[in-house]
Amino acid sequence: MKKYLSVFKISFQQEFVYRLNFIMWRVRNVLQIFLIFFLWDTIFSDPGRVVFGYDRAKILTYIFGLAIMKAIVTSSRTIDVAGEISDGKLSNYLLKPVNYFKYWFTRDVASKSLNLIFAVFEVTILYFILKPPFFFQPNPLLLVLFLTSLLSGVLLYFFLLFIFDMFAMWYPEQGWGPIFFLFIFVEFLGGGLFPLDILPAAIQKGLYLTPFPYLYFIPLQIYLGKLGIIESLWATLVAGVWILVLGFTLKKLWQAGLAVYKSEGR
Amino acid sequence: MKSFLRYLKVWWLMSKNSFVSVFYSKLSLALFLIAKTLRFVFFFMFIFFLLKGTNSLAGYNLNQTVFFFLTFNLVDVTAQFLFREVYRFRGQVVTGGLDLTLSKPLSPLFRSLMGGADVIDLITIPPLIFAIFYVGRMLNPSLLHATFYLLLVLNSLLIATAFHIAVLGLGIITLEIDHTIMIYRDITNLGRFPVDIYKQPLQGILTFLVPVGIMITLPAKALMGLISPIGVFSSFLIGMAAIFLSIQFWNFALTKYTSASS
Repeated sequence: MKKYLSVFKISFQQEFVYRLNFIMWRVRNVLQIFLIFFLWDTIFSDPGRVVFGYDRAKILTYIFGLAIMKAIVTSSRTIDVAGEISDGKLSNYLLKPVNYFKYWFTRDVASKSLNLIFAVFEVTILYFILKPPFFFQPNPLLLVLFLTSLLSGVLLYFFLLFIFDMFAMWYPEQGWGPIFFLFIFVEFLGGGLFPLDILPAAIQKGLYLTPFPYLYFIPLQIYLGKLGIIESLWATLVAGVWILVLGFTLKKLWQAGLAVYKSEGR
Repeated sequence: MKSFLRYLKVWWLMSKNSFVSVFYSKLSLALFLIAKTLRFVFFFMFIFFLLKGTNSLAGYNLNQTVFFFLTFNLVDVTAQFLFREVYRFRGQVVTGGLDLTLSKPLSPLFRSLMGGADVIDLITIPPLIFAIFYVGRMLNPSLLHATFYLLLVLNSLLIATAFHIAVLGLGIITLEIDHTIMIYRDITNLGRFPVDIYKQPLQGILTFLVPVGIMITLPAKALMGLISPIGVFSSFLIGMAAIFLSIQFWNFALTKYTSASS
């Protein structure tokens, strides 16, 4: 545990090494909020309008909630794993008394912590500039379920990203392609651009069978009270099943990947 | 003219090399092509279902909103096809590799800007043009408005060129390219929808300071007959000013190049 605490501290400090990079990354996040915010703000310019089951307060809470969710769920350093496999740096870790998964999860937590601090700061500033109405969930049970689904989202994304990183074991020079693929799925099918319930019911049903809606969309639905207690519990259970499935898949891929890993570049 | 033909030949040679290296890795080509197509399809679906539910967006109907989105894609994808080399420029500056470019009898700006055309984006341009033609026809434009549209799209590419030159200049001074170019992409992404949806002062900024409105919203509006000839003329003035200023900035940035690590 102590060594992972050290990894956390070092990773946290490393995030500050390229400060301009980090600030630019945060600027990008703010720009992305602008696009979605103004789009929905235009649609809900009439305060009494209800579209797709959302009123103005709920949709703008969804947008601002996304900014926080992205900092927690998808801020990650695990994206670098594919590069480490490609250039053979993975070999260094295999020789050390460190669990590679725990190491990267710790680095992710450090990245999430820093991004969360900045996201809260940005959202606060944007709140005072844009003055959107907010929906606050009063039900403590739904809040607990929201936090549980949020944690599930973190684990799901970690496993998903690691699985897509594993592609580099077989194709070391093409590590980025599958990750680019994953990003597109997460952004669109996870509800990162729009709430998925604007889609026809048949498409939604199909999507709920995939792990993506459990990253952003389902946690935010629970927070907004659009899912009842039973539905929220069910959704959390499905996310739990996906965590087990993806965890198992990753374990198998890791074992198979190590068998073909050639430590190229070392 | 002779010089133009020489540069065209060099561009063709560099592009051919770039294409060959992409085709060498067919799996990667397929992955990126599918991913980019999916991104387009997902966003199109979003607009389609959104407008089905709301009927209009800032006063524009479904066909018009789709046309804004298609125009954004045309400008964005063409700029990426032409200027992909900009994404690789940081490595040249950091390693001092830019020295080799500077010492060649070729404009270093041309080499840094257009040295590696992206075949993946090229593949997506013809279907995009077809979609623009198809949706554009539904808007019943006059010949004059269609001409304005074509001229303004060319002007958009001129402004996109200016942005990329500015990013190269910033890259020399700050050694930062990756996020700067992505910020440019994020800002132009705001043009996926007509800039009318943004409130002031953001709308003003996007129209005049960072002319996303001129790059994307204006051409589409011109096809819909919503722009006067004076508006078209003013846009060209802004486009030419942007390219002039960016070249000046590039020349200034070159004087700050230290050739470190070479």
